[in-house]
Amino acid sequence: MARQPHTADQFTRPVRRIFVGLLMFVLLATFLFWRIDSPRAERVRAQIVDQIVPSMDWALVPVTKLSGMVDNFQSYARIHEQNRQLRRELQQMKAWKEAALQLEQQNAKLLDLNKVRLDPKLTFITGVVLADSGSPFRKSVLLNIGARDGLQDGWAATDGLGLVGRISGVGQTSSRVILLTDSNSRVPAAIQPSGQRAIVAGDNSPNPPLDFLESADRVRPGDRVVSSGDGGVLPAGLLIGTVVQGSDNRLRVRPAADYERLEFLRVLRSSPPPGIDATGGLVAPLRDKQTVALPSPEPVAEATDG
Amino acid sequence: MVDPLTMRRAGFRAMFVTIAAGFIFVRILPFMGAGDQLPAPDLLTILAFAWILRRPDYLPVWLIASVALLADILFMRPPGLWALATVLGSEFLRRRSHLTAEQPFPVEWLLVTGTLTLMHLGEALVLGVLMVPQPSFGATLLELMMTIATYPLVVVATAFVFGVRPPSPSERDAEARL
Repeated sequence: MARQPHTADQFTRPVRRIFVGLLMFVLLATFLFWRIDSPRAERVRAQIVDQIVPSMDWALVPVTKLSGMVDNFQSYARIHEQNRQLRRELQQMKAWKEAALQLEQQNAKLLDLNKVRLDPKLTFITGVVLADSGSPFRKSVLLNIGARDGLQDGWAATDGLGLVGRISGVGQTSSRVILLTDSNSRVPAAIQPSGQRAIVAGDNSPNPPLDFLESADRVRPGDRVVSSGDGGVLPAGLLIGTVVQGSDNRLRVRPAADYERLEFLRVLRSSPPPGIDATGGLVAPLRDKQTVALPSPEPVAEATDG
Repeated sequence: MVDPLTMRRAGFRAMFVTIAAGFIFVRILPFMGAGDQLPAPDLLTILAFAWILRRPDYLPVWLIASVALLADILFMRPPGLWALATVLGSEFLRRRSHLTAEQPFPVEWLLVTGTLTLMHLGEALVLGVLMVPQPSFGATLLELMMTIATYPLVVVATAFVFGVRPPSPSERDAEARL
C-alpha cells in the first residue's frame, strides 16, 4: 500500500542524510577539538557552565536546603544515641579547651618575645557550593566565586576541617573544584609523624589510596596526612586526613573534610614561591666582559680595549 | 494558521526539552551522597530512545544532538563523544521504529540493550584509541545495567504520563492526508 509520506520521503531523504552527516561531523569535531586542545576546550566549557548554572541558582538553593532538612529530620530518629555521643565528646573537648587556652597564652607570650610576623599570604575567600558534577565518574563541585573574585587555577579549597580539592577551571562568576577523590586528582602529601612522602591519588572511591609510598612499614593506620607542598601548587601543611587500611590491604586516606556535607568552601589565596630558573650570578662587582686578545685582527681588539 | 499536527509536534518537543532540563538539573544538585552507592542511570538517553521508538517525528535529530551536547558539557564528560553516540544510536532506532511497533515489548527492550551496549563499547574504543583516561570497566558496566533496568519504567512514563504512543492507523491516515 503506497502512502503519501513515502513518496515525499524520496525527496527529503537525501537532504536529511546530508544534514545528519553534517551534525555528526560537528559533534566529532567538537570531541577532537577537546582532545587536541583540552585547556582551551575546558575554558570554553567553564564559560558555558558559568552562563547556565548560576542562573539556576534560585532553584538550586531551595532544593539543596530542602534535602538538607530531610537529612536533619532523619537524624532526629537517632537523637538519643547522638545526644549521649555528644556529651561524651563534650567532656573530652573541655579538657582540650583547657589545654588549648594554656597553649594559646604561651604561644602569644612566645610570639611577643620573638616579634614574629605571621605569614600574611594565607588569606581566603569563601564560596557556596552551587552544583555537583552530575556524573558518577567525576568528583567535582561548582562554587559561586570566580575570576571576578580573583580566583586562579590551582588554589586549594578546604571546608574548614581539611583539604577538599583544588580549583580547576575558573569562569567569571563560578569555578570548579576538583575533589581529592576524583580519579584525576594527584596531591603530594607528607605523612606524620614518620615524614614519609606520598601521593594521594584519587580513584573515585571515598577514601583515596596512597601512591608512591617509600616504605609502607613506617606508616600506620591513624597517622595524619598533610599536604607537603611539593610541586608548588598547594601550600604545605594543610590537613588532608588520616591513614586507614582499606579492605584491599592498600593504605588509603580517610579525608578529614566532610565530603557528604560540602556547603561552604574556603579557597586559600596562595601565590607560588618564586622559582629559580637560571643559574645564579657571581656575587662580585660588575666588570667588563673579559676578552681574549687574539693575535690577528688588530682593530677589533683595540675596539674592545677602548 | 498553524495546523494541529505541527502544534502538537512543537508541544511535545518543548516537553522533551523541559524533561531533559529537569533531569540535568537534578543530576547536578549537590547532594553529596556517599561515593559507593549505585551510579544513576542515564535517563536522558533512554528517554530519547523510548520517544523515538514511539513517535520518531516528535524528536528531530538536531534536538537530540543539542540536548546531548549540553549534557556532555554540564556533566564534565568529553564533549561531543556521547552526543555522537546518542545521535548514531537514535538514528539506528529511528530506522526500526516502524518494526518495533508491531513487536512485543521484550523485543524492543533487547534492541535498546544492544544499542546501548554498542554505544558504550564504541565510546570506550574511541577513548582508548585517543588515550583519554576513562572510568573502570566495572563502573561503566554497572551504569549500563542500571540504565537498562530503568528502561521499562521510562517506557511506562513515556506512554502513560507524557502520552507519547505509537499513532493509531486512523491518526496515521489523518497525518498522511495533511
